[in-house]
Amino acid sequence: MSRKVVEIAGRRLSLSNLEKDLYPSYGFTKAHILEYYRRIAPFILPHLRDRALTLKRYPEGVEKDFFFEKRCPSHRPEWAKTAEVIPDEGEQMTVCLVNDLETLMWVENLASLELHVPLARTGSPETPDSMVFDLDPGDQANILDCARVALILRDLLSRLRLASCLKTSGKKGLHVYVPLNRKETTFEDTKKFSRAVAKIMQNNYPDLVTVKMAKEYRKAKVFINWSQNDSSKTMVCVYSLRAREKPVVSFPLAWRELENLAGKGDPEKLQVMHSEAVRRAKKQGDLFREVLVKKQRLPHL
Amino acid sequence: MAVQGIWSGTISFSLVAIPVQLVKAVEPGRVSFRMLHSKDYSPLRRRMFCPEEDRVVPPDEIIRGYEIGPDKYLVITDEELESVSSARSRTIEILEFIDMKEVDSIYYDHPYYLVPSKGGEKAYQLLLEVMRRTHKAGLAKFVLGEREYLVAVKSTEGALALITLHYSEEILPAGDITPKREKIDAEDKVRIRKDIKKMMADFNPGKYADERRKKIVALLKRKVKEKAPVEAPEAEEEEGEGPADLVAALKESMGKVKKSR
Repeated sequence: MSRKVVEIAGRRLSLSNLEKDLYPSYGFTKAHILEYYRRIAPFILPHLRDRALTLKRYPEGVEKDFFFEKRCPSHRPEWAKTAEVIPDEGEQMTVCLVNDLETLMWVENLASLELHVPLARTGSPETPDSMVFDLDPGDQANILDCARVALILRDLLSRLRLASCLKTSGKKGLHVYVPLNRKETTFEDTKKFSRAVAKIMQNNYPDLVTVKMAKEYRKAKVFINWSQNDSSKTMVCVYSLRAREKPVVSFPLAWRELENLAGKGDPEKLQVMHSEAVRRAKKQGDLFREVLVKKQRLPHL
Repeated sequence: MAVQGIWSGTISFSLVAIPVQLVKAVEPGRVSFRMLHSKDYSPLRRRMFCPEEDRVVPPDEIIRGYEIGPDKYLVITDEELESVSSARSRTIEILEFIDMKEVDSIYYDHPYYLVPSKGGEKAYQLLLEVMRRTHKAGLAKFVLGEREYLVAVKSTEGALALITLHYSEEILPAGDITPKREKIDAEDKVRIRKDIKKMMADFNPGKYADERRKKIVALLKRKVKEKAPVEAPEAEEEEGEGPADLVAALKESMGKVKKSR
C-alpha cells in the first residue's frame, strides 16, 4: 500500500492508496478526490462546521459496497474534533466534526466520498438552522420535473415572505432550503410547516407532486420529502461529491439559472461536475451562504 | 474536545471542586430487532392491557401498586414517590476515600468516564495522577435520573472513571450457594496450581469478540444484498392539513401563485 505523509496546518496526516481509482468508469482517483475537497474546502467547511458528520465510505470505489459510519472512527487522529451526541433512539456516541481542512482531508482519505450532515449543529441538536424540501423524482419523472416543483415551491414560499435556496442533490433530485437561523425554531415547527406546504402542493398539483413515500405513488411524480426535517435525519452536504458513475457534486444553483435550465429540456445540464463546481464556486462565491446566516421566522404557526 | 455528556457538574471534597461531565464508558454491542406484524410488516407497539375488562388501558388510567400479597397492593402516587426521591445532584461529593482493591468486583455495576469541563483540567489531572499512583478511589452518593447511586471515582486508562456500585443490600448472600468445605490434598493443590500457571496469559480482551454478534452482522450484510428489505405500510396520517392559520395562508398564497404562472 502506498502512503504519503502530508502536513496541513502543522498536523501530519498519512494518506494512503492515492492512485486508487474510485470512479473507475470515469477515472477519478483518491488523489483527485482529495484535490477536489482541498479546493472546495473554503466553500464546504462552513456548511460542515459543528455538525455531526455521517461518513458514507466507498473503500473499493463507487461501483462496490459502501457503508455508513455515524460514529467517528476510533482510530482518528488526536486532533480531530468530535462531539458526543445522544440520539432519540440508541446510545450516546462520538461523532466527527469536520471544522478544518486537515479533518476534511482525513475523512476523505477514508474514502468518505459523500458527506452527510444534520440540519442542526451538535451544540443545539433540537434547533434546525433551516427547513428543507427534498424533491425526489419517482420512476418516469426526472430532475426537470423537480425543477418545475421547485419553482412553484419558491413562489409559494416567497408569498409567505420566506426566501429559499436551491441545490442539486447530485443524483436525480433537487433540495430546497429555507434559512431560519433562529434559536427558537424547533423540528416540530419545521415538520409541521413543511408538511402543510407539501400537502398543499400535492392538492394543487396532483399529477406532478406526491407526499407519499411508497414507490407506487411516486411513479411519474415528484415526491416532496418533508420528513427530512427531523433531528435524526441527515442531508448530503452542499458541495459534497456523490457516488455516481461520474464525480457529480451537490451544487447550489441560482433560481434564475434554474428557470433558464428548466426550459431547455436537458436533465444533464442541471448536473455540476467536480471541476465545474470548483470553478463556479470560486467565481460566484457561496450561493448557499444564506442558509447559514439569513434569519427567517416561520409565519402562521 | 466538544463533549456533550449525560450529566455535568462538579466533583468535590474538602476544598477541591472540579467541573466535569459524565459520559458513557461502554456500549453494549447487542444487535436489536424490531418486532413486526408478519402480515404487513407494521412495527408493533406494546400496550398496557387489562385482562379483567379485556381492553387496552390508556396512560391516564394507570397507577402504581406495591404488591404485598396475592391480589393485595399498596397504591403509591407520583407525588409520594417524588417526595422520597432526592433532587438531581449538581455535585459528586466524595464522602471518603477507599482502597479500590478492597472492593470486590461483585459490587461493580456500570462504568462511566468523567471528563474535565472548561477550567477543570488541571485539578482533574492532579486528582487522576494521585489516584492512579495510590490506587485509591473516592466514594460518593450521586443522583442520576431517578435513582441515587453509590459510586466510586477512580483512575482508569488515563481518565477518571465513575463506577456505580451495588448497595450491599442488593448483593445476595452467598451463604446458600457456598459449597461445603471438603478436605483438600496438598498434591492436588500443587497440580491445579501448575495447570493454572501453564495457562497464564496477559489479560488481552481484544482477542475475544462476540461471535454471535459478528455472525448476525454478517447475516444482515448478506441479506441486504440478496433481498430487498420489506417496507412497513405508511403510518396513518394525522388528521388535517396543519395549523388552521397556516393552511389558510398557504391556500391564499397558492391561489396567487397559480394565477401569476
